[in-house]
Amino acid sequence: MSVVSAFLVPGSPLPLLKRDALGWGRLASAMQRAGRALEASRPDAVLLYSTQWLAVLDQQWLTRKRSQGIHVDDNWYEFGELPYDIHADTELAHACVAASPRHGVHARGVNYEGFPIDTGTIVACTLLGIGGVDRPLVVASNNLYHSGEVTERLSALAAAAAEEQGKRLAVVGVGGLSGTQFRTEIDPRADRIASADDDRWNQRILQLVESGDVGQLRSAIPQFASEARADMGFKHFHWILGALKGRFLGARVHGYGPVYGSGAAVVEFTI
Amino acid sequence: MANGEILAGFLAPHPPHLVYGENPPQNEPRSQGGWEPLRWAYERARARLDELKPDVLLVHSPHWITSVGHHFLGVRHLSGKSVDPIFPNLFRYDFSLEVDVELAEACADEGRKAGLVTKMMRNPNFRVDYGTITCLHMIRPQWDLPVVGLSANNTPYYLNTKEGLAEMDVLGKATREAIRRTGRRAVLLASNTLSHWHFHEEPAIPEDMSKEHPQTMAGYQWDMRVIELMRKGRMREVHRLLPQFIEEAFAEVKSGAFTWMHAAMGYPEIPAELFGYGTVIGTGNAVMEWDLQKAGLSHLGVAGASPGAPADWGGTSLVD
Repeated sequence: MSVVSAFLVPGSPLPLLKRDALGWGRLASAMQRAGRALEASRPDAVLLYSTQWLAVLDQQWLTRKRSQGIHVDDNWYEFGELPYDIHADTELAHACVAASPRHGVHARGVNYEGFPIDTGTIVACTLLGIGGVDRPLVVASNNLYHSGEVTERLSALAAAAAEEQGKRLAVVGVGGLSGTQFRTEIDPRADRIASADDDRWNQRILQLVESGDVGQLRSAIPQFASEARADMGFKHFHWILGALKGRFLGARVHGYGPVYGSGAAVVEFTI
Repeated sequence: MANGEILAGFLAPHPPHLVYGENPPQNEPRSQGGWEPLRWAYERARARLDELKPDVLLVHSPHWITSVGHHFLGVRHLSGKSVDPIFPNLFRYDFSLEVDVELAEACADEGRKAGLVTKMMRNPNFRVDYGTITCLHMIRPQWDLPVVGLSANNTPYYLNTKEGLAEMDVLGKATREAIRRTGRRAVLLASNTLSHWHFHEEPAIPEDMSKEHPQTMAGYQWDMRVIELMRKGRMREVHRLLPQFIEEAFAEVKSGAFTWMHAAMGYPEIPAELFGYGTVIGTGNAVMEWDLQKAGLSHLGVAGASPGAPADWGGTSLVD
């Protein structure tokens, strides 16, 4: 198998920008621990999907060799900037663009100076330590009209392309758990999951992930998405599943906590 | 200070295709034209803006999405390159704009007084969203007027349409009071498409107009129905129909700009002038003006005289 490690991480910038808030700082530390595990798996490239790279036409794949800049988040600009310097595995990305139509998905490469790399991708790169020359990325957009099933097909074709190129691949899904956020300003020290029901849903999903029970997870996700407003229908988990050919042995949860009321977890899959 | 005026409000949609079709020097990609009827509609809107001679343009854009409150650009000068994340092949635009920070702060203050969460965006490296930039370029390519940029709080999507639009109603009234208090002569821009069903694949040549058409018949029919009502000045009925229009035509007015603008204008029951209508990747776009000056409704009068929402619209005040 080309995939040597897999991770689910949150894409909010708050753990990165406000580490002094204890709960958010813990999530940042958890992501750094996950990053060390990713590094130890010695991937040649990292296959990344962020729920925050939104698309509505076609499937976009980042084909720019190097993307540099300073990003300011639309919501959390007061906490500072997010500098980035991201290298892409363009050979693999182009293979994904070419393979997508064979799987029923129109696709295009994105290779433009100044293209707005999304917050989730930048946060994951910074805290996991990926996207450098030694661990270049293949990044796919989140087409809002794609289902979990289509998302699985896309990551599966990317993993297959990596295998054809003889590459070891780490897979990262960037997104949250329960999606309810507080609507008014809060003291970060008083952050909590927005409701007990959301917390229960998150705990249940994480337990199923830890157990590696994919069948139960597939059954539970639609209800989780509906009742807990799971971030983008939990498509970032489908991204992981597709690359892992629909199975994994279990998982280690490096961290779980609230980000402005929504649920966030750092998960390392056992494959 | 003299009381302010809202001279007019424009429905001013923001497909980046219109900038692409025009080939201005600020935009890097080159086109063979396209979407001419809509671009000619904007030419007429530009001429009207010349006549109105406002001090400031206020634009509410659905592509600066915020979750905690309503945000306002709060840095005097902002510049940079705006690359559209959806259409990077069409829109890579060098922008430079001046912000009327005093008016923006007044809007935020009045919104807070009315019970809204508001925030001023003070980061000079902030990337202004392409909806704001496209709308402003199309209405005033000279970029010689200061602007107030408002975010689209995601309440209409996060809660529901009625609660979301009720919040935009409050935001509009707060905006009206801020304009009155600061004595500005303002023009409002609602950066919204009408029906928003769109293609899922882009034509090989984006400006190939032989491929352009409404995505759905139902969306087109809805657009014609609401435009006709607007042309006749039957705005109360438009606002009453808005939730159904949003639901059945996936209309982008859900994001709140249209309601914000009409609340700020005091829900004038006056005919709009249609400058033009056209589709862009299947979505329905109309460029329209409500001329408050001509109707004798531009002067904002005394504090607290902001009219309510149309009686049958169902809007509610956050502070009642």
